[in-house]
Amino acid sequence: MEPHAESPVPAGGAGTLALTRDLFTNFYTFEGVVRALNGVSIVVNRGETYGLVGESGCGKSVTVRSLMRIVQQPGRIDSGKIVLFLNAANRSRGMEIVERTEAYMQSIRGSDISMIFQEPGAALNPVMSVLDQVGESYRFHRMEQMIDETLERLEKDRAGMAGADPRRALRRVQAVFLRAEREGHRRYAARVKVIDDELYELEERQDAEARDRKHALDHARDRTHPRGGSSVVARRVPFLRRYRRPLDATIRAHVVELLRSLGIPNPENVAQRYPHELSGGMQQRIVIAMALACHPTLLVADEPTSNLDVTIQAQIVELIKDLKRTAISSVLFITHDLGLVAEVCDRVTVMYAGDVSETAPVKELFRKPLHPYSQGLLASVPKVQQVDELSMIPGAVPNLIRPPQGCRFHPRCPRRMDICEREKPATVEHEPGHWVACHLYPASTRSAS
Amino acid sequence: MSLFSYIVRRLLLMVLVLVGVSLVVFAMMMLLPPGQRVAIYVNSDRITPAMMDAMIAKYHLNDPAPMQYARWITNIFRGEFGYSITASAPVLDGFKRFFPVSLELVLVAAPLIILTGVLLGSLGAVRKDTPVDHFTRVLAIVGFSLPTFWLGLLLLMVFYGFAGIFPPSQLSNDVRNIVFGGNFHRYTTLVTLDGILNWKWPVVWDSVYRMILPSLNLTILNSALIMRLMRSSMLESLGQDYMMTARAKGADRRTLIRRHARRNALLPVVTISGITFAQLMSEMVITETIFDRKGIGWWMAQAALQLDVSAIMFDVLFLGTVYVVVNLLVDLIYAWVDPRVRLS
Amino acid sequence: METTTDQRHLRTMHPRLRELLFTTRRFLKNPLSVIGLSLVVIFGIIALLAPVLEPPKYPDPYRIPHTGFRIQPSPPSAEHPLGTMQQQYDMLYGLVWGARSAFRIGVVVVVANLLIGIVLGLLAGYFGGALDEVIMRVTDIFFAIPFLVMAMALVVAIGRGLKAVIAVLIILGWPSYTRVLRSDILVTRNKDFIMAARASGASHIRIMFTHVLPNAMYSVLILASLNIGNTILTAAALSFLGLGSETGTADWGQIVSLCRNWIVGTPTDRFAYWYVVFIPGFVIALFVLGWNLMGDAVRDIFDPRMRRR
Repeated sequence: MEPHAESPVPAGGAGTLALTRDLFTNFYTFEGVVRALNGVSIVVNRGETYGLVGESGCGKSVTVRSLMRIVQQPGRIDSGKIVLFLNAANRSRGMEIVERTEAYMQSIRGSDISMIFQEPGAALNPVMSVLDQVGESYRFHRMEQMIDETLERLEKDRAGMAGADPRRALRRVQAVFLRAEREGHRRYAARVKVIDDELYELEERQDAEARDRKHALDHARDRTHPRGGSSVVARRVPFLRRYRRPLDATIRAHVVELLRSLGIPNPENVAQRYPHELSGGMQQRIVIAMALACHPTLLVADEPTSNLDVTIQAQIVELIKDLKRTAISSVLFITHDLGLVAEVCDRVTVMYAGDVSETAPVKELFRKPLHPYSQGLLASVPKVQQVDELSMIPGAVPNLIRPPQGCRFHPRCPRRMDICEREKPATVEHEPGHWVACHLYPASTRSAS
Repeated sequence: MSLFSYIVRRLLLMVLVLVGVSLVVFAMMMLLPPGQRVAIYVNSDRITPAMMDAMIAKYHLNDPAPMQYARWITNIFRGEFGYSITASAPVLDGFKRFFPVSLELVLVAAPLIILTGVLLGSLGAVRKDTPVDHFTRVLAIVGFSLPTFWLGLLLLMVFYGFAGIFPPSQLSNDVRNIVFGGNFHRYTTLVTLDGILNWKWPVVWDSVYRMILPSLNLTILNSALIMRLMRSSMLESLGQDYMMTARAKGADRRTLIRRHARRNALLPVVTISGITFAQLMSEMVITETIFDRKGIGWWMAQAALQLDVSAIMFDVLFLGTVYVVVNLLVDLIYAWVDPRVRLS
Repeated sequence: METTTDQRHLRTMHPRLRELLFTTRRFLKNPLSVIGLSLVVIFGIIALLAPVLEPPKYPDPYRIPHTGFRIQPSPPSAEHPLGTMQQQYDMLYGLVWGARSAFRIGVVVVVANLLIGIVLGLLAGYFGGALDEVIMRVTDIFFAIPFLVMAMALVVAIGRGLKAVIAVLIILGWPSYTRVLRSDILVTRNKDFIMAARASGASHIRIMFTHVLPNAMYSVLILASLNIGNTILTAAALSFLGLGSETGTADWGQIVSLCRNWIVGTPTDRFAYWYVVFIPGFVIALFVLGWNLMGDAVRDIFDPRMRRR
């Protein structure tokens, strides 16, 4: 991976899972263009818990939403690169996803990258049961596997029944339709794989021919859908829909197992419930269940505990740590709570008003914060033995429609210099693994990167 | 509070309101002189002034109001509503003759109205701020502003006056002969259904044919409200957090709109269906008058013109009852459909 | 970038004034509302200038002059710019004075409804309890019967004519205002600043009129602006059915009812009398459309979710 000419940022190494490079995301609103991300570059590695810290409105959520390309209207990713390194088994290079089609992103979301949100109550659809909502994850991404299991079970059932049992016939009919549907999914998966493989091959090349080809492939990807032959009709006819009952049963079994593994008591019962009947902590577990159903490689947690009480908070954090050990590879944890960062994260990035200020391993950051903003943040956290006034960072978060020129922090920076007003600071690796974007640490002092 | 106690409470409330409605109707009646009020006790149209005086005395129409009210209510429960000049028959008979005509049209128009409103409103919301959206919004406002009678007349003028198609009136004379002839069995009293059940297709075709224009009229005018409500409800739904969750799960656009947004957006529409129903009934009066369908609305209009007291009072009472019952049903449906209400 | 003097000026203005300015500006930015406003203003001017535009020929200006007794309507001509209706009533005269009549009806009914509705809504919402229950049950009853049907029955009971129609519309119209105001008050009543006012000893009346009402007014005003159109439509419908003013009066619904028979035209020319069917209804539609557009725009502006400061 060649480092970008503009800003030398942590380049992807062997263990990289996802990275963004100079991401600019803007929101085109009535009042003007909100420049939410001002060239954000982050790198998430495998097996780590990566924290994204900053005040409200600094762009943490926008960054991860850009990563998954679910930025809300009227937002748009205007420039930059986002590269994902999934399916490490046979791929050493990444796939650039800013220009990929929605169809491609849909296959990734929920399956390779999942997200959990801040307010679990609002994140759950009030008119769908828990079973419906968690089951949806399976239906979107693991249909083939579900049908396989169902067919197996149907076979076993049939084998175990007497020859003249009418239920045998029923099972046979159901199997026929399910097989048709599976065929559809299989062919779809194969087609998609061909397209994705070629896209992956073309990834390196930047010439015009490659671009056109990628474009064509993207179009083709958009147009493919799983078709299921006879099942397509059957799916829509109310009476014939009963062929799906065994499939629903399979999915329900999986959902119940999943809930149980997340420590939810009495999962069969909970599955039938609707979100408003559950407590906040339980709701958040359901959200986590939805995210984990397909064993994603990366879990993005957008302030998952900010709206819960402290005791529940602790439970959820424990749960996430547990999952990190057992089920997920990496976690991208967003929070404004430095205490949580210290407890949970391995590496952390501090953001301010759409800029990345500093990136470092957690211990490093706490021990020796380089950026004046990080210093201010850490200083403002009250400490046990503190006896004097609480320190704070003077001023307020800037308006992102007319953000400050140069370094966006300069109006509030206690160590402001003239250059800060004019030029945006480059990101340098001041110490191995410790990156900072501040004119106090100009490029010439960087160690070999 | 369980669903059961909710229903019980609503039923009690309904009874209370119906009593109130009857009081209001009675109060209106009392505004008229006894000479006209006696109509509700009359059963044929051969009445001389002497007989009228006798009846006024007999039914104590000069008695204090509460007693008259009691008498009137008892009569209602006995099924005696008096004689209707406009129907040339006792009120109840007139009702049996006129109601199916209106019912038919309502059964055809109501689903059309709801469907149009929901689909166009949903379309407008999903494609917000595009030409399609603006078009549907303007359509809604214009539809809302058009006078009922004008649109009906225009439609008639264009289609019937000019093109000769979609004539008014419920059935043509030929078909009428079939229906009221010997071989036609009135199973449901709804002409179209009866036509199907009797296997007399000309009847069915004729009846449907003549319902097209009135339905169009009613749809244009009444779907506006639903369209607008659906649009704003859908917009609100689309902006909710759970949409983001669904997207993050990898849902495709169609699933997002259909399964997640629309289901939530439809809830308020259920409630407004009740109001639409009431509006429909009001519209019936004019629509039936213009399209010459002799239904309840037409009867009401004639009764008003000719001061047919018994018919008017009956109609008001009847429509009020229907409306209250429909609203109760709508509320129950809502309570059943929304899990937040059902299970709390 | 606004100059600082502008900003300072804005800041020192009374908040209600500033809000009015803000609202007006937003109102004028929306093309639909501008169209609505123009329509209403045009009709208003026509109504005001009726005596000038079409001088009355009879002592009662609302009687339409007719030049002859021929049944068939005649097409637009120099003498009758919009043609005549049956029995040679002049269309233009009818429409112009009809505008006046429409404004009269609309304004009188809505203002009366507002007054009654606000008073009862305040009583119900603010004081609650038994008073609230009673008023709510009464509105329930009114809501139980479809509006037009009820209006027809009442007109029969009271007697026909324009005055009766106005009275009926007033009697039947206030419940929706009461309901709307009451629900707004229920929301406002629990806000902290009301409790603060009570704690500082303000009397009920004072609280009602200076604190509660101004904050709860918006929905009612929106309802009023939307209802003017509706009221006119209902009044026209009643006239159309023959329950309003007598034949030959300058009332829009009346005019349409006169024209009902002419939809078929002559055997040779199917559209012979199109003007008689089309024009009066079109005029009504424009008028109501104008009010509805305005009311819609006002509602969009006052929608708390869409307000931006």
